[in-house]
Amino acid sequence: MAMIRLPMVPELLRQLFTKPATNAFPARYLPPSVTEFLSQVAQGKAAINPPVPVPPKFRGKIAYDRESCIGCTLCLKVCPAHAIEFLPETKRIRIYITQCIFCSQCNDICPKGSLHMTPEFLLACENRYAESQIVE
Amino acid sequence: MPVDALWTAAGAVLVAVFGILAALFLLGIDRIVAARMQARIGPPLSQPLTDLRKLFTKENVVPENAIPWLFNAAPVIALASAITILFYIPVGGFPPVLSGGGDLILVMYLLTIPALALVAGGFSSGSPYATVGAQREMVTMIAYEFPLAVVIIAIGWKLAASGIPLPFTLASIQAYPIWGLVGPLGIIGALVLLFVLLIVTPAELSRIPFDTPEAETELAGGVLVEYSGKNLALFSLTQGVKTVVMASLVVALFIPWRLSAMVAAPPAIQPILDLLFYLVLVVLVAFVSVSLVRVSMTRFRINQVVSVYWIYFSLIGIAGMLLIMADHFLTKSVPAYWMYFPVLLPGDLFMTIAGHIMGVPWP
Amino acid sequence: MFTFQMDGEVVKSVDFAPGNTHRGIEWMGMRRNPVQILHLSERICGICGIVHALTFARAVEQIAEIEVPPRADYIRVIMFELERIQSHLLWAGVAAHELGFDSLFYLAWKVREQSLDIIENLAGTRVNYAIIQIGGVRRDISTEQVQLIEKGLSYYRGLLDQMKKVFLDDSTIRMRCRGHGVLTEQDARLLCAVGPTARASGVAMDVRHDYPYCAYGDLDVHPILPPQESGGPKGDVYDRISVRLLEIAQSIDIIQQCLDNLPTGEILWEKKMPKLLLTLKKAQGEAIGRVEAPRGECMHYVRMDGNDAPATWKVKASSYSNLMSWIPMLKGEQLADIPIIVASIDPCMSCTDRVAVIQDGSAGFLTKDDLTRLSREKTWRLMQCR
Repeated sequence: MAMIRLPMVPELLRQLFTKPATNAFPARYLPPSVTEFLSQVAQGKAAINPPVPVPPKFRGKIAYDRESCIGCTLCLKVCPAHAIEFLPETKRIRIYITQCIFCSQCNDICPKGSLHMTPEFLLACENRYAESQIVE
Repeated sequence: MPVDALWTAAGAVLVAVFGILAALFLLGIDRIVAARMQARIGPPLSQPLTDLRKLFTKENVVPENAIPWLFNAAPVIALASAITILFYIPVGGFPPVLSGGGDLILVMYLLTIPALALVAGGFSSGSPYATVGAQREMVTMIAYEFPLAVVIIAIGWKLAASGIPLPFTLASIQAYPIWGLVGPLGIIGALVLLFVLLIVTPAELSRIPFDTPEAETELAGGVLVEYSGKNLALFSLTQGVKTVVMASLVVALFIPWRLSAMVAAPPAIQPILDLLFYLVLVVLVAFVSVSLVRVSMTRFRINQVVSVYWIYFSLIGIAGMLLIMADHFLTKSVPAYWMYFPVLLPGDLFMTIAGHIMGVPWP
Repeated sequence: MFTFQMDGEVVKSVDFAPGNTHRGIEWMGMRRNPVQILHLSERICGICGIVHALTFARAVEQIAEIEVPPRADYIRVIMFELERIQSHLLWAGVAAHELGFDSLFYLAWKVREQSLDIIENLAGTRVNYAIIQIGGVRRDISTEQVQLIEKGLSYYRGLLDQMKKVFLDDSTIRMRCRGHGVLTEQDARLLCAVGPTARASGVAMDVRHDYPYCAYGDLDVHPILPPQESGGPKGDVYDRISVRLLEIAQSIDIIQQCLDNLPTGEILWEKKMPKLLLTLKKAQGEAIGRVEAPRGECMHYVRMDGNDAPATWKVKASSYSNLMSWIPMLKGEQLADIPIIVASIDPCMSCTDRVAVIQDGSAGFLTKDDLTRLSREKTWRLMQCR
């Protein structure tokens, strides 16, 4: 060990004085009670730090335009996760977000362009069949 | 006399409480500073307290093939001995609580007890990972004791050779700082010894690069793998108190000045000034020897730990000691020998100026 | 799952049993048409998803005799190399973490964020890009996106020297990695190692060079070997680190070449998906798709016989070929070196979770993370059977 070289040290000392690279979403430190924090946010007493903004054409939650759909069921044939259900009585579809893998293959195959992806990605929920988890 | 004993006992309790609070503070600062150096935000300063509070509420699991009495006694012994060392070192800028009771040699022996308690706890855990970790802790302890002893002996020898009574007591070291007793060669020697002591600190505290006993990615927690609940809390607190102890030791041996002596301050706020200055120094020492070292290196293998301490740092420590001895004998035979070595003149000039500023006599 | 025979701290012999992460993906694939399988195959691996999609697409395109337009070929290469950059940076961070050097872990992953942002802008998400389609790619690259990629490339070019210095010049990393986990060239050839593991031992093989696919025929790609400045190929962990960092530099060059020569034209062989599905249904035959994944050569074998779903789909992931090279690497090493050596071939599976340590005849079963109650019970059981 003729000469110890530690090239990381100048970088570390420099980083001591620069802004941290962490995005402090949703809060800087863990609040003592998460549910209380969320209720405070709902009342407007506390704020959530915004997440990193999503780029355009981000593949988030799917959106379905009932009016333009013709019930051709092509989207069912191409969905890898079998997340789309066809309702024969109304000739419309129902998409289950909990199954969806957000590949947007159904968007590509739809002849009428009734499906497109929105930038929404905060989709966690405790109930598999809640209203927010089913798109129809 | 009973009144004296009462005062000493009160002082001891105060120092113990202060030691624990300072331990939590130092642990918190270490985590925040290390995080900022890695471009992260880091936890709030009160995080070690939150962790400890949580650990005390968790179940204390004793494995079936562990030795229960030793398993549960080891953390208590470790914490108690770590706090005991605080009674013999000046903390908070105040003289040691048990001033006349012990000196540096006692401190050096007391420093081995928390490590031995950790080893005992590891062996009594009944897990192969803990056994390997305990073996590594023993080997690490054997490795770093030698440079530590060299540092303490070098300082003690210098004070003894300068004719100061009771050379190993901390009171004498506080009264006669090493920097004021030696010439330029000795200054270099003392700096070398300071460097060695700063590098021994991470091994005492089981921190990267010397944390082979508790290697997280290799041994699943090593020595502490079976510990949980209140036992683990006591061991974590022990590590914090040992940080305070080692940092206070470095400050006491090498930076023993008090702010109130340098700045003319009214007697009312002198203790507060001393305390603040001490905290600043301790945080600085902990930053250099624990946080900075911890984030800038990989972990060493156990054979590398031993060779680093036994070969490299022992040689460096002995070199520092030899420099101090050479300086002492040169000064005795040739006063102001540094005049003959032009390269040492700037150092002499610097020390004169610095000495005037700090009120320390420079011969 | 590993079984080590130890003598004190030194490994005497090693045995392992893979297969703990079997998920039934090939079974699922035999019930879906090729367009669906593309998305399924991406989820075989979380780090190198596009590799499996591209390999499968190549195999199916050979069976159905589909011509991929040149612009799609170039876009495929760009996405592929972007993924190689982020995969190698991920590995660099993980290797540093195994060594105990968390600062490099955070630094490598912080640097990786830039490539993930570019990928998110191009493909729509950060992992599981879903950009490959049979016969081309699903998304085009606009001029703003070209500028974004160029900005990212200049960011990486500026950082590359620092990353190489921080990883390869560091004395403590050199101390831990030089001369450990050695895989000789002869062993690498005998055990059929692939990718950076083989290249670090001196075996100059690279599918992009030997059997060019997509646009690699037009580009200048050579297998990267450890440079002569560091002493030539020795086959140890340090060489594997340096090969992967040099491959990041190579990827930046490849992407720049692709951007400079990006041809105009279509990006899909067939835009109307029902027609594509019909063509695929009628296709018959068998083919093999081979690509150079970040971890080595990845191969898919597909056989189609006129149905919707393929008759056979067999995946040979790149890490599978590298598994056997663990045995000569680990013999004679210390317990402390096991994590970094195991991680140095960049295993793309979660099988390094469990380690059984057998010391002097007594057996103890332990995991790398905190012991769960099942592991404790198993420890107790194994120690009872001593």
